[in-house]
Amino acid sequence: MGLLDETVSVPRRTMTIFFLIDTSGSMEGNKIGAVNDAVVNVLPMISEISDTNPDAEIKVAALEFSSGTTWLYDEPKLASDFVWQDVVAGGLTSLGQACQDLSAKLSRSGFMKSASGSFAPAIILLSDGGPTDDYQSGLRKLKDNNWFKAAIKIAIAIGDDADKDVLKDFTGSSEAVITVHNIEALKQIIRVVAVTSSQIGSKSSTAGDTTKQDQVIKDVQDATKNIDGAEGGDSTSANNVDSSQYIDDWG
Amino acid sequence: MELKPNDNVTLTIGTSAKVIKELGRGGQGIVYLVELAGQQMALKWYHNPPSDAFYKNLEHNVNAKAPSDAFIWPEYLTEKQKGSYGYIMRLRPNDYFEFGNYLLAKKSFKSFDAMLAAAMKICDGFMKLHLHGYSYQDLNDGNFFIRPTDGDVLICDNDNVMPQGEMSGIMGKARYMAPEIVAGGRPDKYSDRFSLSVILFMLFFANHPFEGAKVVACPCMTEAFEKKFYGSEALFIYDPTDKSNLPVRGVHQNVIRRWPAFPSLLKETFIEEFSADKLKNPNKRIIEQGWQKIITQVRDELVVCPHCHEETFLDLKAGSHSCINCGKDIDSTKQLKMNTRSMILTPGTKLYIDNDNVPDGEVGVFPKDNKLMIIRNLTSAAWHVDTPSGKVKVVEPNDFMPVLNGLKISFGSSIKGAPGAKGEIIA
Repeated sequence: MGLLDETVSVPRRTMTIFFLIDTSGSMEGNKIGAVNDAVVNVLPMISEISDTNPDAEIKVAALEFSSGTTWLYDEPKLASDFVWQDVVAGGLTSLGQACQDLSAKLSRSGFMKSASGSFAPAIILLSDGGPTDDYQSGLRKLKDNNWFKAAIKIAIAIGDDADKDVLKDFTGSSEAVITVHNIEALKQIIRVVAVTSSQIGSKSSTAGDTTKQDQVIKDVQDATKNIDGAEGGDSTSANNVDSSQYIDDWG
Repeated sequence: MELKPNDNVTLTIGTSAKVIKELGRGGQGIVYLVELAGQQMALKWYHNPPSDAFYKNLEHNVNAKAPSDAFIWPEYLTEKQKGSYGYIMRLRPNDYFEFGNYLLAKKSFKSFDAMLAAAMKICDGFMKLHLHGYSYQDLNDGNFFIRPTDGDVLICDNDNVMPQGEMSGIMGKARYMAPEIVAGGRPDKYSDRFSLSVILFMLFFANHPFEGAKVVACPCMTEAFEKKFYGSEALFIYDPTDKSNLPVRGVHQNVIRRWPAFPSLLKETFIEEFSADKLKNPNKRIIEQGWQKIITQVRDELVVCPHCHEETFLDLKAGSHSCINCGKDIDSTKQLKMNTRSMILTPGTKLYIDNDNVPDGEVGVFPKDNKLMIIRNLTSAAWHVDTPSGKVKVVEPNDFMPVLNGLKISFGSSIKGAPGAKGEIIA
């Protein structure tokens, strides 16, 4: 069957999922361990979503920021080709620099050069503290970037020391900031956020008025309700958690 | 809450189903293999329980039964429990593959014959669905499972099926939705019909009807651009009046290769259905029976090439008689005429009289003279043939008759979907 044998895959857009990971000193220990573990485990899930998706293929990029910033690869990779090198914590929290670096890559001359075009990226920011550099000028620059404007943006605040106002400023809404209070919740939330953003971000958008960002937030918030130690949205964290239990969680 | 193996889920009919293992998960929920009264079934369990109205609708669908055997329909509903609910359906056999796999070229149809059967079956499913007063609403590439060998189709995700005029609240993907729905309208049978045309186009040509040069040029497909390209400014790639969105070489390879191979009737129908007029006027869109007639006539022009023995389409209307594979001319003068249909007869070609995708006859050659073609009766009842000299011959099931000019066939009761059908051989 000549003609049918020559069938090639439909052209797919690319959806890049960015992990922006705070690797400052305060992340040391089981926090950074959980992040490494969670991302390694979520990569095969992203790969599967990509493989069976006729709308888009999903690529992964990761930027770690502490006293400086490092891209784990110098281009977005298919999840199946992304070999995760465990990130190590130490140093300051250069979020402003991370914003600058991200903005530079969110361009057709940077990471967004797929021949058959892209969907808007998904950007997942993880942090347990507050920026130690001039994050405002970095973020201002990033907010002018059209790819960033269109992106799905979710932040994961690890514990109560995370500066949630900064994370809210980054994502554009407090609903897009999820707070986690223990290691298990952190792992689960990384998985939920990565999988949900991949699923929604890599598909043709739904008809009607809901944006992909709204949809991701809604699905992540719904999932958060079922995860102990994770909180979505506005609620002030840890208010109703006993402090000894809280300390145990981090122990 | 997620379920675990050995969990029991109680059904509204009073019995309970036991979870065996997870089969897969999606955005909405998880599908588990379950055991119900000694039988293996599938349970779709929602991550988060949809609204009460959704539950009521499911209940209604469970009681109403499936519109046809193509639907993997909700058969039993669970009680609300463990923070959510779900429904039970039959298992999908593992020789059926998601339509997306065909688009990704992981699976391909064994033949054009199978491809046309799939198209026919999808039309039949939607016709029956609409006849029962439902609309599908969330029609996309994830809803169809197709068997590559014969094109049989199973339609899944029927929890979103709603009576006409009601909203499931679950919206389809913009790429598959009618422009008026992309713009925020309510899905109904007219928008389903548009989605059907998109699905059929993708089935035949393995590219999207609106994705050409214009869409490729868009670097970042945001929601706003999707609204434009699939909604307000949707433009068919082969629109005869505006060639700004033609398919791009190296990108839209499948449609570029296949478009010339299909009969003009099919191409003209797509040009018509994706014209600005039909995009703007939902009630002018072709109905499912209209598509079935077109597919029937396209199938009448699908033959086995006598030279290279591959399948090829002929195009009587365009005067094209050469094989798409070997390029040699094919004698298309021997035909079975039925009303407006002309089935071209070449050895090896199957004849489909009605729409059930079961061949009713097959063309072959006479055992001792391969120049004389015959038609074998593949039905389970006799055909009666009037000869030009006034004799009446009976062709029993599995027996055959010669392809000779002027033979008139009465198919009697042999064709379930077309009782009393008659045809005449032109040779």
